[in-house]
Amino acid sequence: MTPLEPDRTPTPPAEDGDGDGIGATGYDLAALGEYLDRDCQPPIPAIDESPECQAALDRLRRVRSLSRELVDDDARQQPPLPVEWVRGLLAGLELDVRAGRDIPFGGDDPATRLSITEGAVREVVRGAGDAVPGVLVGGVTLDGDVTTPGAAIGVELRISVALVEPIPDIAEHVRARVTTALLSHTELHVTRIDVTVDDVHVVSREETAR
Amino acid sequence: MTTRSPAATPAADSLEAASDAVLAQRAADGDTAAFAALVTRHGPYLRAYAIRLTGSPSDADDALQETLIAAWERLDRLENPAAVRAWLSSILTRKATDRLRARRGFDEPIGTDEGEHEPVAIEAGPDARAETGSQLDALRRALDTLPAVERQCWLLREVGDYRYDEIAEQLGVPSSTVRGALARARQTLLARMEEWR
Repeated sequence: MTPLEPDRTPTPPAEDGDGDGIGATGYDLAALGEYLDRDCQPPIPAIDESPECQAALDRLRRVRSLSRELVDDDARQQPPLPVEWVRGLLAGLELDVRAGRDIPFGGDDPATRLSITEGAVREVVRGAGDAVPGVLVGGVTLDGDVTTPGAAIGVELRISVALVEPIPDIAEHVRARVTTALLSHTELHVTRIDVTVDDVHVVSREETAR
Repeated sequence: MTTRSPAATPAADSLEAASDAVLAQRAADGDTAAFAALVTRHGPYLRAYAIRLTGSPSDADDALQETLIAAWERLDRLENPAAVRAWLSSILTRKATDRLRARRGFDEPIGTDEGEHEPVAIEAGPDARAETGSQLDALRRALDTLPAVERQCWLLREVGDYRYDEIAEQLGVPSSTVRGALARARQTLLARMEEWR
């Protein structure tokens, strides 16, 4: 919790009982609250120039930031979600919604034509990238008409790296692994593999062990 | 072909350490382990917010579950993966307020909050009690005394950062009710915080 600044408003603002508003500006606390909610735009000089109104606005801002802290504090006091609950949630997820397009493979005979999903191919790419020390793959995109056999396909990976090696070397390892994995698991005609380093992360214990 | 536990899933600790952006992108691509890491990371915050909003742990849990299922289905529409917590919070707000509207029923007049006022269910732990007298604790107690609609408007405005018309729409009340509730909430909270200073 952030320590609060010392109170600069010894007297609470008049709560509009007398009809003159705070600091005799004619604006009561409700009006100041709405002014704050409009980010104090357009400026109202009577409020901006009244020390009493500014003090009340400060108090409103403080209670706003405290409210956000309160939820964070509640969250810290929450136990972790029960493992069983999370497991049940995951088991109930509809996996097909993330599967993407169907990618045909397995020869020209329509009777024996098979398909794998785009999601499965992304998984192959992700796994190949993850296998490079220091790499954690973020998003994988297959660019091109994957549903047409032989179409030129671009593969784009966004990765997070631990700086165990120069980034160009890491990117080259990723390209090599992904190429090999795609050749052995798919019939995609991959014409390019773009690797974008999005993020740098701290080396995890697992990665230092490799 | 969709597998639940791909052999190549990295060790749990590297997912735990991964950024929100990486996890959200992986989850959007169908990686359930990355989604689980996001759920584990942000679940307690989302649950706490839902409990504050609904005043009920069981409503909060239902809203949280619906939120996470909906999030999984819509992950490809998340534009900024790094802002996944804010995105989850906005889905949660919608799911929680769906429940509030359903619970209130349609015929009951709005603004007669007495029946709706229920203490918020989060028990302040020993740590929180130890900081009695702090502003945070004063706010905690002050919020608990607000009628439900005032508390909900307050949270949606100050924590959720919604506009008045959005709050009105989510809670199913007129904008004028939202304005009035916010004005009363501000008045009460500032006065209570003053008393407990």
